[in-house]
Amino acid sequence: MVEATEERRSAVYDVEEYAVHDEPYYLPIGDEVQLFETAYAQRIPVLLKGPTGAGKTRFVEYMAYKLGRPITRVAPGTGEKSEHRMPLITVACHEDLTASDLVGRYLLDTDGTRWIDGPLTRAVKAGAICYLDEVVEARKDTTVLIHPLTDYRRLLPIEKLGQVIEADDGFLLVISYNPGYQSALKDLKHSTRQRFIAIEFDYPPREQEAEIVAHESGCTRETAMDLARLGEKVRNLREHGLGEGVSTRLLVYAGRLIANGVGARRACQVAVTWSLTDDQEVQRSIEEVVTSIFE
Amino acid sequence: MSIVTDLVARNHERLSGFPAPLEQQFEEGLRALSSRFSPNQLQSWAETGVELTSLSLRSWEAALEYFRAGVNLPSNATWDSMEALGRESLTMAADSAPLAVAFLRSSPAAIQAIGPSHVRQWADLGRRLYKGNWKSSSLAAQFYDAGASVFGVLRIGQAARLVLFIDELARHSYELASACLASSPDVLARLEEDDRLPFLTFAVELAQSSWADSRLYFERGAPLLQKVHAPLRERFLLLSAQVARGHNRSAFQFFEEAAAALGQLEPDDHHQIIELAEQLAPYSPYAAMDFIANVPTVLDRVRVDELEPWHAAGLRILQGSHDGGEAYFRLQSTRGEDILETLSARVELSRIGEILRLYCKALTGQNVSIQSTEALAEKGIGWIDEHRASTEGTTIFLPEVMERYPQKDENFASYKVFATHQAAHIEFGSFDFLFERPGNLLGNSRSRLVTADDASAVTNMERFFDLFPERQLAADLYTIAEDARIDGAVKREYGGIRRALRRMQRAELDRRGDVTKLPLRQAFVENLLRASLDGADAVKWPKSRPDSNVVAESLGMLEVLAREEALVEDTAEATIRLYQAAIAIPNVPAEMPETDWDSVESQEPGQALPMDSSGDMGGEGNQMQLGDVGEGEQDYESPEQVDFRGDFKPELVELLMKLKQDAMRGDAGQQSPVPLTPEQLAELLEKSVEIDLDALMEGDLDASTGMFMQNLMKEAGQQASEAQKGQPTSDSSTGEDAGEEPLQPIVTVYYYDEWDFRAQDYKPRWCAVKESKLEQGEENFYENALHEHAGLVSQTRKQFELMKPEMFRKLKRLADGEDIDIDSAIEWMVEKRAGASPNEKIYWRRNKIERDVAVAFLIDMSASTDEEINKREKKYDDDDYDDDPRKYLSWWVSKRRQELTAPPKRIIDLEKESTVLLMTALETIGDQYGIYGFSGYGRDNVEFFVIKDFDETLDQPIKKRLDKIAPIRSTRMGPAIRHATHKLNLTDAKVKILFLLSDGRPQDHGYGRDRTEKEYAIHDTKQALNEAKREGITPFALTVDRAGHDYLKTMCEDMGYEVVADIESLPSRLPQLYRRLTE
Repeated sequence: MVEATEERRSAVYDVEEYAVHDEPYYLPIGDEVQLFETAYAQRIPVLLKGPTGAGKTRFVEYMAYKLGRPITRVAPGTGEKSEHRMPLITVACHEDLTASDLVGRYLLDTDGTRWIDGPLTRAVKAGAICYLDEVVEARKDTTVLIHPLTDYRRLLPIEKLGQVIEADDGFLLVISYNPGYQSALKDLKHSTRQRFIAIEFDYPPREQEAEIVAHESGCTRETAMDLARLGEKVRNLREHGLGEGVSTRLLVYAGRLIANGVGARRACQVAVTWSLTDDQEVQRSIEEVVTSIFE
Repeated sequence: MSIVTDLVARNHERLSGFPAPLEQQFEEGLRALSSRFSPNQLQSWAETGVELTSLSLRSWEAALEYFRAGVNLPSNATWDSMEALGRESLTMAADSAPLAVAFLRSSPAAIQAIGPSHVRQWADLGRRLYKGNWKSSSLAAQFYDAGASVFGVLRIGQAARLVLFIDELARHSYELASACLASSPDVLARLEEDDRLPFLTFAVELAQSSWADSRLYFERGAPLLQKVHAPLRERFLLLSAQVARGHNRSAFQFFEEAAAALGQLEPDDHHQIIELAEQLAPYSPYAAMDFIANVPTVLDRVRVDELEPWHAAGLRILQGSHDGGEAYFRLQSTRGEDILETLSARVELSRIGEILRLYCKALTGQNVSIQSTEALAEKGIGWIDEHRASTEGTTIFLPEVMERYPQKDENFASYKVFATHQAAHIEFGSFDFLFERPGNLLGNSRSRLVTADDASAVTNMERFFDLFPERQLAADLYTIAEDARIDGAVKREYGGIRRALRRMQRAELDRRGDVTKLPLRQAFVENLLRASLDGADAVKWPKSRPDSNVVAESLGMLEVLAREEALVEDTAEATIRLYQAAIAIPNVPAEMPETDWDSVESQEPGQALPMDSSGDMGGEGNQMQLGDVGEGEQDYESPEQVDFRGDFKPELVELLMKLKQDAMRGDAGQQSPVPLTPEQLAELLEKSVEIDLDALMEGDLDASTGMFMQNLMKEAGQQASEAQKGQPTSDSSTGEDAGEEPLQPIVTVYYYDEWDFRAQDYKPRWCAVKESKLEQGEENFYENALHEHAGLVSQTRKQFELMKPEMFRKLKRLADGEDIDIDSAIEWMVEKRAGASPNEKIYWRRNKIERDVAVAFLIDMSASTDEEINKREKKYDDDDYDDDPRKYLSWWVSKRRQELTAPPKRIIDLEKESTVLLMTALETIGDQYGIYGFSGYGRDNVEFFVIKDFDETLDQPIKKRLDKIAPIRSTRMGPAIRHATHKLNLTDAKVKILFLLSDGRPQDHGYGRDRTEKEYAIHDTKQALNEAKREGITPFALTVDRAGHDYLKTMCEDMGYEVVADIESLPSRLPQLYRRLTE
């Protein structure tokens, strides 16, 4: 079950029922939107590569909305209008995520066991976009499921039921992967990665990032520009005491704090400096960059 | 008959037996005294003299001197003094005639000096030195002989102190005592009268505690004491004496250092310092003296008024713990360092360099390093100023310390302004000038300008400056314009330091001289500089001059450069315009009163100074030339440089970059398309105004140019190789130059604190750990070791392979999991049917335990590991053969034979072999591991050898390095452990292990109070292990020292350790232990 919060009202959906209703804000940096559209039309699975907070998830949501938008169905007879939305099932992968977490498992019932479909199975049946976030984190046995789904077969074998499910026409597998924390263990196998086209994400250039930050946080254009500048400078420290550069997301957070009355330096301290690193020296260095940019 | 002849006649009989002069002298004495003393007194005098002759074989000589003293008796002498003299001589001569002789011989002079009433006291002083043997007698005699000169500098009462000192020395060495006595009149004469007694007081204490230093004290003490403010010398000496009283052997050293320190300070401050020291003395005189000795060092960092808080904090520590307080005032305590740091407003580059480095890296996006300006000047590559910030494109050079403001954060802010300006040069492309590229705002008029020889220029900057007949003026204008552009960019991009920058600019403006006193062209340049500092109000120009619009537009030109679009090429364009404006202004004094100068408002350029490069610029057609200096003008002088902007040398930086590129191409085997010839370089250097060869090096110009070029080449080569270092090169070890010269091992130095358990505090940056790769030895060692222990190897491998499958374990009875566990499910069903509440945990899951271990092996390479193992054992076996010599002989023969075929094994050999075995085991299991050896001598030289680093794979060079593990020197474990901890922390493994393999207790020169002390070393090692533990590392110590239990118990209180008594079992034991440790 996925819970969506919207203007303080909580709504409950079944996973395959959930679709993105309002257009998410997304500022295209290159041709990624066209690429994704084409890939979807051809049902080519997509791998989104890039550092954390660069907008991968947002992009998938945006694309799900965009791909689902034009279809409005009018039910025959009643004349009732219902909009078709592209369902989006997102699974955040973690290191204990196993194949059965994706496919489904037996649950105990009063008189025996009952089979419950996992999110991947539901997506395959419903023709949804299934987005496996940070797929390298999951256990290796999950890749066994991914492979037949991502080539011409588009099949999901369910071992425990002795079934094979043909994917609904709308189904597409999208995975994301962060090459930042590459270690020998956490690398995507070639047999897996060569089943996807890869769209690279990086932090947007200063101007665009400022626009995003301004839009998302509601801070002034000048503040957004300064934040983007800060982002650029801090990212220069990547591989240097810092595993990853500051994400656009963090800059947006900082912008929101500033827009709501927190002092700029303080906002950057809590949203950027402290969340990035525990190393005191690096913290101090970032702090100095902050104090250079913000008064 | 006179009384004289009567007495002579009466005593003739007694005296005639002695050599003639005696009687003669007797008579002379009588005659001399007859007028001063009464007949009775004379008679008594004569009797005393005669009695003297009879006391011993040679006492007549004393009598002779007695009579002679009568002749020479000073006028102030009374009968009483004469009588005392006689009485003392009699007792003295009874013991030692020569002593009495010396006493009497110098008595006239002495009585003159000390007055007639002190004869007895004087005699007593000498007598105190006399111990009944001839050495003491001659010393005492020497004292009497020195009499007059001693009393020239000391009063009789004070002389007692001298005698006490000499006496004390004489207990140890008569030679030294005699030498000091001989020099004392001179030494004391050099002191002021009031200082003499305290000087001797300390001498006495010194003689008692470390008598050998007395000679030094007598030689150097007096001039040292002069360094102390006169009224305080006594108190200072008393403090010194207190140190000596504590039986401290280095009392003189304390004295010397403290006196030297006071010599560096203002005499007016001495009072306060001595007073503060006296407050410490009751707790520890050493702390008091160290305090004085270190005041200059402390005052380098804090202001005078901060000295007291620093002292007070130390006093509190001292009251709590003597050792802690003493370490504090010795400046060997981390707490002390921290307090000093808090008090001090000064900021040191060494402390904040790393922060600034990351800061500059963030700003520029390049791997800039930070170094001190002194380092730049030392390179001899064109920068001569040791204090001005600068950059050569890859490194930012900043002054070593910053203390221009009374607050620490203000000083740090200054550093930041300095660093930001230099970083901005890199960030905003000051060194990316291309001659052909047009400016964004001002176009390109350069290409239409002609110079004499266009083609010879090697760099873009050189070609540009070649355009100008007056090169210095052009360089100055270019610097101002570029700095205006850079400061503009900094202000625009970095709003946060605007305030600090503004403040520095203001300070700079206030500092500058009077513009109205300058000749006009210089005043023009100075005005531009002021404007670039945002000092429009400081710009002054004569009202009456017709060219004030030119000035106004020139100021406007600088504002154009501060715009966002401005490029370095725009700076160049602006420089051309400004040059033309400047050259039109004659460099003559204005000779106008200040009131005739007015401020100038800046104006948008366009009229006098064209914005557009295509416009008319005073030249004809496509070709034009820049003007030169007119006749009858003053020589142009550059404006004073701006402090925070530092040295800007674009021409040199570009040259250096070009050389670097050439060097890199050379390394890569390519030829530079246009390599620089030495002639080109020499020409460039000669032309450039950025380099002052005379100032750079002494000697003739040709030689210094050569030297300079060498330095430049070297620097460029180094930078090139550093730039390439990051990229792995396949042929790094077999490269061409490897054969030419032996590869110097690269030594990296790390500093670590050391724990002083007495002071309960760290000694800051106490040990220097020098890390280097171990040399490579024979490669077959590794294979041989494997071969020798073939059985063990396969056994170990098997054991370790067995560890692997355990990584996947099926966990049952979980609330959630991969699938339902049938057994639990049935149970659940049964319970449910039976009506009991079933256990809901019926799932199972494969638990993946990733083995994520990093281990650092630290091998003791101390000299003691050289010991042969057989020898050790022989000690225990000897007894068996004692009874039967034949048995012993046959044992010995077989042993010899064995030794010839296989040399005896040493501890280190077994350590090595065990390491090899363990490495194969580790390779099997796939743990990350590093192997390090350590040794060294003293705290400055802890050698840390890398045999295998964590990120290295086990290949040929490493196998070769293993062979070179050999006994070297001492064992300073603490720093080695700290460095290994540091290495472990760099890995990202979940389990980190530090494995220490040693053969004995830690010991090293200076690792403890003296050679025999063990506690200090053990405590430091323990502390280092504790630190490792705090970092989440599991330390484990293994020793082959049978006596290891004693100290390992203390050292590894609650950590694992093992003593391997049977060293032969080490190769099999080590992998076992490791397995146990990580399972």
